[in-house]
Amino acid sequence: MGIVKIFYKDDCPMCPVAKKLGEHLAAENIGVQHYNVETADGLAEATFYHVMALPTILVEDEDENGIGEWRGSVPRIDEVLNAFRNA
Amino acid sequence: METTDLNLFVRTSEETISDWDRSKIADALIRETLIDQDTADQISEETELMIRRSGVRVVTAPLIRELVNAKLIERGLEGARKMHTRLGMPVFDVDSLILHPNKENANVPHGPEATNLTLAERIKKEYALLCVFSEDVADAHMNGDIHLHDLGFIDRPYCSGQSLEYIKKFGLDLPHSLSMAKPAKHPEVLLAHLVKFAAALQSNFAGAIGWDAVNIFFAPYLEGLSDDEMKQFAQMLIFEFSQQAVARGGQAIFSDINLYWEVPKHFENVSAIGPGGQFTGKKYGDYEKESQRFAWKLFEVYKEGDGAGRPFFFPKPLVHITEKFFRTEGHMDFLNHIADVSADKGNTYYVFDRGETAKISECCRLSFKLEKSDLRDAMEPWRMRYCALQNVSLNLPRIAYTAQHDDTKLMDLITQRFLLATKAHKEKRAFLEKLLAHGEDGPLALLTMNRDGMPYLRFDRAAHLIGMVGLNEMVQIHTGEEMHESKQALKFGLKIMAHMKLLTDKIQRQEGFKIVLEQTPAESTSYRFARLDLHYFSPSSGRVVKGDIASGEVYYTNSTHLNVGYPMNPIERVTNEGIFHPLIEAGSISHVWLGESHPYKQALADFVIKTFRHTTNDQIAFSPEFTTCNKCHRTSRGLDDICSYCGSSDVDGITRITGYFTKVSSWNKGKLGELKDRHRVGEYFNEQQKVANG
Ligand SMILES: [Zn+2]
Repeated sequence: MGIVKIFYKDDCPMCPVAKKLGEHLAAENIGVQHYNVETADGLAEATFYHVMALPTILVEDEDENGIGEWRGSVPRIDEVLNAFRNA
Repeated sequence: METTDLNLFVRTSEETISDWDRSKIADALIRETLIDQDTADQISEETELMIRRSGVRVVTAPLIRELVNAKLIERGLEGARKMHTRLGMPVFDVDSLILHPNKENANVPHGPEATNLTLAERIKKEYALLCVFSEDVADAHMNGDIHLHDLGFIDRPYCSGQSLEYIKKFGLDLPHSLSMAKPAKHPEVLLAHLVKFAAALQSNFAGAIGWDAVNIFFAPYLEGLSDDEMKQFAQMLIFEFSQQAVARGGQAIFSDINLYWEVPKHFENVSAIGPGGQFTGKKYGDYEKESQRFAWKLFEVYKEGDGAGRPFFFPKPLVHITEKFFRTEGHMDFLNHIADVSADKGNTYYVFDRGETAKISECCRLSFKLEKSDLRDAMEPWRMRYCALQNVSLNLPRIAYTAQHDDTKLMDLITQRFLLATKAHKEKRAFLEKLLAHGEDGPLALLTMNRDGMPYLRFDRAAHLIGMVGLNEMVQIHTGEEMHESKQALKFGLKIMAHMKLLTDKIQRQEGFKIVLEQTPAESTSYRFARLDLHYFSPSSGRVVKGDIASGEVYYTNSTHLNVGYPMNPIERVTNEGIFHPLIEAGSISHVWLGESHPYKQALADFVIKTFRHTTNDQIAFSPEFTTCNKCHRTSRGLDDICSYCGSSDVDGITRITGYFTKVSSWNKGKLGELKDRHRVGEYFNEQQKVANG
């Protein structure tokens, strides 16, 4: 199983929706990492993945290959689950 | 004892020999320090006694001053001693300066005019460390925790970006100049104004002067020029700039010219200024053809090089690559044309302005992203003048030695050094404000001239730079791996830079002035830091510094760059170095060292497009190497000990030190060490081309 990376910051309008998605994914036993881009760790990871818009949701398989991404928007949970299924 | 009893003569600083007069000591102490009359009198008596006992007949003013200083120290009057101190140089140093070449900055030759400058810089440097900066800042510079750049130019801002439009609109009307020139009517006159203005600016800034959109702003003057005339004009511009050095004792004037193939969006609908400083009634978008013809001819001149076939060292041409570039007719021909210059002479810099950000380049390779207010300025482009007041670099490896693998301590130390750098900026800022407050009667008259409702130097908009040296070694010390060795190490480097970026944002909000990160062009700083750390942090530093310790050719990797010697292909280097660039607001660059091979221009052009499309790299340049013969005045490819044409050993190597071309013979030991290590990739492009040709 891979991992879902969620990039957010405190004062962005759509970010709470992305965090909520993260909670639902975790409930499905999917690994979720949250990155606040206003912290050094979060900004470093965001820079590594060229994140320019918030929120951004990236999905990677176990070999860290990108298998899905939503930049500046939040997908439905089944879209994320499909990314894993199709990988 | 009466003072007249002492049969003693004093060589004064006014080049006279005076009779001994003890009261002069007391007078100076009262005038220069805050001590009381009684103490001053006592000190003068004690000093006299000491001189009398020594039996000398002639003493110099500096000797007396130091004897008095010794008395101040005896009394614990350290503050008074500081105020009473004397700035200057030992005979030995002056002797070796006048007789031997300057190895600290490759750009500084050592003719009489140049050594005049160096001597003056030495005094100003001491003055800065004693009088402008507080003790903790000065100490941190002295011991190599941080580096305050250009201390010898303490009374000037650091670097600046300029607009030709200012001279077009207002002519050449400088404070205290003997004659005032109205706005130019002919291109040659405008060029003369530009060169004079650049020289005037250079004497008011420490570093580079960048000129924005030069080919576009010249265009209204160039209508109707034949191809030959256009070429001649391009030659004049480059020769004039490259030969400005003569006036500064051979110290080249760091100048950048920014060029565009397209008329960038922010200038498209701007009213064009033409001959006589009048609006032509057209927009700059209407001058695309003239500005393209001019840009093309400029690169023809760069391709030919100087009289001996060497690349022009200055002005550096920075070509901006934007989305619109790729939509503009003839862009592939132009890209091949400038890539041809890259392959042949190496001059071209490719600045990538992706998305909707427009940038203006300044300083060595500095660029500032234009903000909304700047885009408003773009409608009146003579207002587009920018500057950075100072540059302070942090010694990152040193922080890592001190942190002893403790993450929290590492981040905390970075923050501390950052705050110290901020303090240094505030102190320089206060000092410059004092100078500027004298207005057009003061030392920075040029920067206070007011021709458009605001002072020439827009102080409130000025940036303050914080640079970094040796991120790669910091990561190596802390994690055990260099940044090219693993994804984890690279990400750890990113975390350091992210921490620094967040600090700039926070400090900017707190202090109310602009602080930005930049990649330090560390011609001498990376050598200085490595040397000092070998001294203070041995043996751990011995395992980390790059270069050769036995020969003293040691250095730290520049800024956020990856190990220069590691054999990786250029696309990998440009991609991975480029990951850092979005965090570095004031501009970054990746170097592609070509070595002696001469790649196909198509392969370089293709590489430029790939870099623009698939990386976040801000800027690249390709650097070939040359050997130029002082005997037969011919230039060949590669770094050799003898001339391949005539066999003479009187040759100079030429290549890029960091941000500019220069003779290798003038490099400091650290840079020579780096030169040996550089992984050359010229052959990679030839392989690529073979693949492309099938
Ligand atoms: Zn020769």
